[in-house]
Amino acid sequence: MTFAALLTKELRLRLRRERSIWVIIIYLLVMGLLGFLFLSRQNGYSGDVLSQVGGQLYILLSVVQLLLIMFITPAFTSTSINGEKERQTYDLLLCSRLSAFSLVAGKLVAGLANALLLIAASIPLFSLVFFFGGVSPQEFAETTLVFVMTAVVVGTFSLFCSTLLNRPQVSTVLSYMFCIIWALVPWLLTLLLAISTPATGSGQTAFPFPFLWNPILALVSTLPGQSQLVVRAVAGHVATPWKAYTIISLIATAILFLLSMWFVKPNPVGRLRSLTRRFVPRKQSTVTA
Amino acid sequence: MIKIEHLNKRYRTVQALQDFSLEIPRGSIYGLIGPNGAGKTTLLRILAALISPTTGKVWFDDEEVSMVPALIQRKVGYMPDFFGVYPDLTTVEYLEFYAGIHNIPRQKHTGTVNDLLELVDLSSKRDELVETLSRGMKQRLCLARALVHDPEVLLLDEPASGLDPRARVELRELLRTLQGMGKTIIISSHILLEMAEMCSDVAIIQGGKLVVSGDVEQVTHRISGGRQLEIRVLERGADAVTALKRMGAISNVTATEENENLIQADFSGDDRALHTVLAELIKQDIPVVSFAPRSSGGLLEEVFMSVTEGSSTS
Repeated sequence: MTFAALLTKELRLRLRRERSIWVIIIYLLVMGLLGFLFLSRQNGYSGDVLSQVGGQLYILLSVVQLLLIMFITPAFTSTSINGEKERQTYDLLLCSRLSAFSLVAGKLVAGLANALLLIAASIPLFSLVFFFGGVSPQEFAETTLVFVMTAVVVGTFSLFCSTLLNRPQVSTVLSYMFCIIWALVPWLLTLLLAISTPATGSGQTAFPFPFLWNPILALVSTLPGQSQLVVRAVAGHVATPWKAYTIISLIATAILFLLSMWFVKPNPVGRLRSLTRRFVPRKQSTVTA
Repeated sequence: MIKIEHLNKRYRTVQALQDFSLEIPRGSIYGLIGPNGAGKTTLLRILAALISPTTGKVWFDDEEVSMVPALIQRKVGYMPDFFGVYPDLTTVEYLEFYAGIHNIPRQKHTGTVNDLLELVDLSSKRDELVETLSRGMKQRLCLARALVHDPEVLLLDEPASGLDPRARVELRELLRTLQGMGKTIIISSHILLEMAEMCSDVAIIQGGKLVVSGDVEQVTHRISGGRQLEIRVLERGADAVTALKRMGAISNVTATEENENLIQADFSGDDRALHTVLAELIKQDIPVVSFAPRSSGGLLEEVFMSVTEGSSTS
């Protein structure tokens, strides 16, 4: 009940802002323009070339969509809680019967709804790919899953930052820094340390451990013709990047959500101390006669 | 009844409240008076269970606040000294949102919101965006928000600050109506005249300590040592001054510089003694036009200034 009230208010406020409409328009224009430029540079559309064009267009749109999701999602969630503090409405929420779960869940769902709306709005553009062929529905579903998981992880991390930090500007910057580090650091490490990605015995290309939770590799592994990509997991095992990515993302989301619930209520450090005192009894000082 | 016992609150280097104890009777309008930084807001935030005291306890009837914060959320309506509004919501949507997060069933929202808008006289603004409301209207809307879950106790932090005289009068009338509905109202303000007229009881706080508390009459008596009289006579002001100076219960008799027929004097005694003073003046054929104790507002201001002497009130 309290969750529904918060979600309704959040969606009302967000969708009433003129900015929301412009974000969708610009998002689709960027995607559409890139698709148009790509198609206009092709020499012909005959025979086998058609499916290749479809596959390449799909790769282009997917990579752009992933980058846009990572760029836009923090804007929807990184000021959710500290924005309430800045607007001086946070105390009023605390005085109500809104639980920590309802507060965090309501803010997260409302922020993610905006990001997911962008993904949904881009589906007609992606459907253009099926006109050319070269992409299976399963690959499309896997790619969409990577998009959704990326939005969820970035959204939850940004929300966590907004519970932890009082200044909205700082939490926004931290959220973007996380996105950059998360997406690019494994690739930079590979380049700088000249780590090779040797082929395994079964013809697979194995990426090192840091790529286990990397959104770019996860996306690439769902694209047409990339099923040979694997990532080294623990004890010499290898895993399909998008599957490993999905599982780790779910775990990370759960942890960040619980941390946000802890930090969203006042005096988190004091509450942790009193909790520790309750479960860890103090050492009794021994008195000798 | 609210009982505050030996409350202490420390923020890093600042002691906001020191051994603060107070009892607030049910159904009263209790004024918290003190200079900036005296600890009034800290006290209200502790009562609203928004912050915990460093030591000490607060009791609502038989329940201790820190043990049952959820109960406090049901019993208390808090209005901070800032608006805290969502400018893009309409008045109705704003109140419906707070009704929702106070767990009021959806089917009751419309009735509750309509009643509240009528109470705060904002029915005509129900579909207006909150950002278009005037300051006084926003203040009334915030009061309606604090009342949305029908709390027993209202905590109002500087509700009259920044309001024009008309809005202040309307707010005062509204608070009287709420008192008539059985609510206990705890209010902090700098406007002492308003406090004297509005409150049944006051507590003066300085440096986190309780200086004096009780009903307004009691407090002014205790600090000023008695009542002050203001007497206006038609003529023979000098004779009236002489007569008053001879009376035992009267001291510090002065005629104002501008008008010798307007006399002020300190009076210590009960109502019967007061009647004797008036009777004596009439007996001496002095044409008394008005004979009244000075307004408690003015007195309260003097009391406040004397007990908070040396501290900033800016």
